[in-house]
Order: sequence, then structure tokens, then C-alpha cells
Amino acid sequence: MAEPEVVVTGVGAVSPFGWGVDSLWNGLTSFETAICELELFDVTTQRTKVAGAVPDVPPRGLHSGWIAPAKTRVEQFAFGAVGDALAQANLTNHALESSSVGVFWGSSTGGMLEGEDEFLGSTGAGRRARLVRQPIGAAASALARQYRLRGAVETISSACCASTMSVEAAAMSIRSGEHDVVITGGADSLCRVTYSGFNSLRAVSEEAARPFRSERTGLSLGEGAGALVLESRTHAEQRGARILARLSGAASSCDAYHMTAPDPAGEGVLGAMDQAVNSASLQPNQVGAIIAHGTGTPHNDAAESAALARYFGDRASIPPVLAAKGAIGHLLGAAGGIEAVIAVLCLHHGQVPASVGHGELDPEASVPIGFEPGAHQALVYPSVLSINLAFGGANSALLFTALESR
Amino acid sequence: MTVGAPVVVSGIGTVSAHGVGLDPLESALRAGMPTVQSVDKADGFHPTGSAEFASVIPGDVLKSLLPPRVARRMSPASRMAVGAAMQAVEHSALDVDQLEGPRTAVSLGTAFGTSTFTQNLLQQVAETGPESASPFYFMETVASAHAGQIALALKAKGPNVTVSQREASGLLAVCRGAELIATGAADRVLAGNVDEITPYVHSGLDLFQALARADGDLAERALPFDRRRSGFLAAEGATLLMLEREDLAKARGAAIYARVNSWARGNDPSASAADWGHDAEPLAHRLTERLHQLGAPANSIDRVVSGASGARRGDAMEAATLSAAFRGQAMPEVLAPKASTGEYGGAFLAAAVLSLKGGFWGTGDCAFEADPVFGIELSHGAAMEPVQRTLVTTLAAGGAAAWLVLDRA
Repeated sequence: MAEPEVVVTGVGAVSPFGWGVDSLWNGLTSFETAICELELFDVTTQRTKVAGAVPDVPPRGLHSGWIAPAKTRVEQFAFGAVGDALAQANLTNHALESSSVGVFWGSSTGGMLEGEDEFLGSTGAGRRARLVRQPIGAAASALARQYRLRGAVETISSACCASTMSVEAAAMSIRSGEHDVVITGGADSLCRVTYSGFNSLRAVSEEAARPFRSERTGLSLGEGAGALVLESRTHAEQRGARILARLSGAASSCDAYHMTAPDPAGEGVLGAMDQAVNSASLQPNQVGAIIAHGTGTPHNDAAESAALARYFGDRASIPPVLAAKGAIGHLLGAAGGIEAVIAVLCLHHGQVPASVGHGELDPEASVPIGFEPGAHQALVYPSVLSINLAFGGANSALLFTALESR
Repeated sequence: MTVGAPVVVSGIGTVSAHGVGLDPLESALRAGMPTVQSVDKADGFHPTGSAEFASVIPGDVLKSLLPPRVARRMSPASRMAVGAAMQAVEHSALDVDQLEGPRTAVSLGTAFGTSTFTQNLLQQVAETGPESASPFYFMETVASAHAGQIALALKAKGPNVTVSQREASGLLAVCRGAELIATGAADRVLAGNVDEITPYVHSGLDLFQALARADGDLAERALPFDRRRSGFLAAEGATLLMLEREDLAKARGAAIYARVNSWARGNDPSASAADWGHDAEPLAHRLTERLHQLGAPANSIDRVVSGASGARRGDAMEAATLSAAFRGQAMPEVLAPKASTGEYGGAFLAAAVLSLKGGFWGTGDCAFEADPVFGIELSHGAAMEPVQRTLVTTLAAGGAAAWLVLDRA
């Protein structure tokens, strides 16, 4: 029996541009950056002072709607994005409770922000409440509790590949027949550990990140969530759902090269891309666009562009590339989730937004980003490859295609 | 999930408070006793009257796991993970060279990630400012650092996955590892669990009254399914199973310790964030339905290696789920190794594989007194025959569930 096809029937996002996929898409196509001075916690003694923080986060306990059950900032993002995705998928609570529905979620730091508050002296009253939401898997459990889900609940915490791998795992579970519907993606919030830590590595830019530019000096951190509802195609069609895209390929690999630096040759990410495209029975020249990891660090962008040039034959053959992290920052464990959402939005709009950031393209890391306001690129082939690289050497790739493409 | 390419367990590496390797663990299982140390409460995280013990690895044992040159850039948890991985490789009679490349993957579970280095980093930031933050600490604060270190040590370039779902992390990681082989993404996977129990983690668990307490003459013991249970024993360590495509293992004449028959996952949405729930019937239905679909129906199970840990609500939920899953038939033999291994640290996974061959698992110094509500009798304290099929179970606080069916090779 043929494996079920995996399709996307809902997407949701919470990003530094605001709440919802419209805010995200409008922000990405505005050639503006949402990265600005960070006020979430004290950064006065940090080397850098900017980040992509989510605006208009209501005080916990004082909000309504989908995010009402959330107890931490990261859960607020998760609930916001998943609520939107489920609404778009037109899946009611009753349908979720009565079907075989699982959650495969990605997060790198979970409730670390609240854990820091607790650790840094807020003992006594409230300690228990803060501790209980600190585990990395707490958001996935909270989602499953809220929607009364009885399928698998699994959090993948593979740093910056966490939510890309969670989408891959979700797809695997549909293909195997374990689930008809899966909620997937990931969420992370800014916190002191990552902000201080990336600064300690001198990996953070003092201004908004400028991926693939000659004078790039590092990444910008961000926060938010990206959520997708994946279904077997049969299940989606039987209930008359609107199919947004097909998840046609997914793969991951490891550099086994260095704990924080990518393999300069990009062998690992090249392997993941190749497997993802192969599993979709497509050729490299049928890939319409790339959502790059594109952090803006000298090493990442060089390794990634080298891998892209090798994979597509030469730099001139690389399809349009979006480096979204110059606009929204690096969402760490949520990066792959929100970039998967962006890939689906690119398919929907037939367009690849220009990548915000000033300065000339680095000839040593040259990829075809639209690097001027309004220089959005047309999506010639209806397939978008989203790639991520992570601490520990992990790499992952997801290939989304339009339903009619094969 | 049913197995596509058949998967076997061809090696086990384990590091725990009991010692390094399978022999100390088997001794502990035979005795039915944990190995514990008093927890250092000097940092002031613990309130008065908190639990006293944890199953932690002595510093000299931790140091002995890896050559200093290899260990110098690793957190304690990474040392445990890499040490256990190297043992699993050795136990499987594979050369490290055979693991190099994209067909070897890592799938590691961890409930807490890197506790020591995260605390150290936060303390640096708090006390001397963010400029003093150590890159060395930071690179090991991510939960996936341990899996990354295993990949570096073995040059394993296949998928590198870290799973974190409280008490279910380890078993979910083994399921994910088996899935990677079954779907063709890897030929061999180092799969298992690592966790470290720092005083801070211990105090946090104690705050929720999750840990066993002494009570009168009753020592501070984890007593799974026992009417006197008061909580679990927090344990640190690492256990890695060498999962391998069966045809490859057979072709090289490997010893096979178990065949992975199938696995399943579920959730109990009645669980709170901090505890286990009560909705056992649907969870049991999920389990039996999946096992039936996967060709391992409940009536084919000979033995259950339960994740019951002595947790008050957790064991009640586990007992109710098992009772519902095996309703209408005799309950298989039930083992609860967490009386000896404690919760976390992964030694439970090694015990589950070892259980297939039978033997004798002791009752320790607290004779089992069954909770009359459960109707679960443990098979500890009597000689056990080898069995063909074992169901391994884990329910996590927060609701996640994982089940693995192992067959005797």
C-alpha cells in the first residue's frame, strides 16, 4: 500500500512583526526589519542591545482567546500560532478530540525565560508555578491538554533545527499511518541565557543581521512561533479541507565537525537538501526557491552558500533565496517552524520576498537574495526548500510543493 | 508505527550510580536496590524536610569515563552520554570506523538538558555581568549538545535528534531511533537517554513532592505499585542502545539482545502540567489499538517492564492503564525496575532489554506490599523464565506516553 501523502491545511505564526501570518507576510514584503532595541530584559551591560521581540504580548492571565491557557511567554506564542493554524485548517475542538491527532513540537529553550526569573532569586511564592512550565516539552503538553489530543506528544529540542525536525517527525508519523492529523512547528522566546551566550561567542550583530552581505557581523536573535497542521491527503480531502501545500520531502543530517561551527564545505546540509529533494522525486532544477538558514554570521552564510552552489551546480543556478532572519531575527528552536510557514506563504503568493539588509552581497557567499526594496522574486517552480543548521552540527531540510506540482 | 526494515538491539552502554556497564546494573536489579548518595544542600535550594537522596554518579567515576583530552570540553551530561555511547559501540562489537558517515544517527532523550552548565552560565551573568558569560558553558546549554558530542566522537553524520518530554524522553527517543532505521533514514542509531541530577533539579522535583520520602521506619525508597509509595528516586546517568538494521547485524554475526517489534505513542489530556492524569481508559485503548494494528496484540505480550517509579499519581495511572489494556485476559508478569534504577538517567532502558532473558530481580530491603486498588503484583523476588515478548511502558507527567514492544531474538 502506498504511503499517505502529507499535506498542509493550516499555518499560523507569531513573529516580531506581530501576531498572525498576515503580519508576518506583510512585514517580510515591506523590506523593513522588525529587529530593534530590546526591552524584554535588561541589556544595558550586553555588548549588543537589539533583537526581534514579539510586540503586543499581553500580560499572562489577562488575555483571552486562543492564548488564554498559556502560562509562559513561549506558550503564548505556541498557542497563538497553533490557534491560527487550526482555524485555517477548519478543525474544530470536537474534530481534534475525536481524531487521531498528535503534536510534534520544536523548542530549544522552552520556558527558560521564566526559569531564569526563578533561578535568579525569585524564590518563595510562585516558584512552583514557574518551575512547572520550565521544561522544554511543557508547551507541547499544554497544547495537547488544551485540544484534548490523544495521539503522540513529542518535543524535539535539536537547537536551531528543532522545529524543522519536528515537522519531519510529524510527516513520518502520518506516512506510517500513526496519525491522520498532526500539529507541528515550534516556538521559542528570547531569554538571558541565549542572549548572553550568543554574545559570548561574539556571534551577534550590533545592528540588525545582514545575511549574505559582505560586511555581515553576526546574527540577531528573535522569538516567536510557527505552526503547521499536517494531514494525510486522503483525510484532508475527505473532510473537504483546503490544501495549502504538499510536504513532499524532509531529511536531516549531522556535520559531526564542530559543536558550534558549520562544516565549511557544507557537506551535511548538502546531504539533507539532496535527500529531501530526492524523496520528492524532483531534480535540483525543479526547486523554485530556498528559505535559507542565513543567520548573518560569517561562517554560517559562507558554508550554506557553498553547499547551495555545489548542489545547484554553480552560483548562477541557485534559485531565489530568502534570508528572513534579517527581518525577524533568528528564532532558534522556532526558526524552522516559522520558515516552513514562510515557505508555504511563498507558494501561496507565488513570490519570494526580498531579503532586508544593507550592503553589497558577499562575492564569497553569493546567493540570489533580492537585496533591494521591492525586489521580490517570482516563484517560477512551485516548490520551496527550507533549510536549517544547528549547534551540534545538525542540519535539516523540508521541501514544500504546490498541490498540482509533482 | 510498525517496523519497515527490521530493527534489533545489538549493544547496550550504560553509566549510572551503580557503575559503568551492564554488570553493576544487573547486580542492582538482582538485589532490587538503588545506589544513592546524600544530596548536597549547601546551595540553599532545598527547604527544610526535603528528600535526602539521589542516585548520582560519583565524581571519580565521571572522570574515568573518557580520556581527559576528549572530556575537557564537555558538560557532565555530555561525558555521561559519550561514555555510554562508546560502551554501546564496544558492546556491539562494532569498530568506531564502521559508524563514521551518514548512515549512523543519534536519537537522545533528556528531560532536563544540561543543568550544571546552564546554572553556571546564569550565575556568571547574574554575578559578574553578561560580558563574563562563558562560550564554553553556553555551547553546552542547548539540550542537543550531548547528541552533538556523540556524533562528533563517532563521526556519525546521520540524523541527530534530541527529544525532551519529561519522563518519556528516553523511550520516545528509542522509538524515534527505531523509526529512523525503519524508514530508511539510517542503518544504525545510538538511541537512549541522558540526564544529570543537580541539587537545583533535585530541589525542584522535591518542591512538587515528586520524590520519595522516608516515613517512620520506612527508608526513603522508590516503591513502584506499592501501597506505601511516596514518590520516585531521582537518578542521573546515560544509557545508549545500539539499534541496528537486522540484516546488517546478522551479516556481521553480531550478538542480538532484542528485536524491536513495534512502538506506539499517546497522550492523556487529563494530566496537569506537573502531574499525571486519570483518564486511563482512552490511553489503554490507544495502546491496544496501536498494538493490534502493528501485529503485537495485547494477548501476545508475555511481560511488562513498567515505567512505574513510585510516583503516587503516576503509578496509579500506569496501573489503571495496564489493567484496562489487559482486561479480559491474565495480566502478564510485571516488572518495575525503577525501584533500582530510579527515574531519569536511562538505566530503565537497559533493564528493559535485559528483562527478556529472565533471571532474578530482587525486592530490596522493603518487601513489596501491593496497593490493593491496583491489583498489580510484581514478579520481583522469584526466578523468571526468558520470554518472547516484552512491552516497555512509560507515562510522563504532563500526559505523554510511549510504549515499545521488544521481542527476544
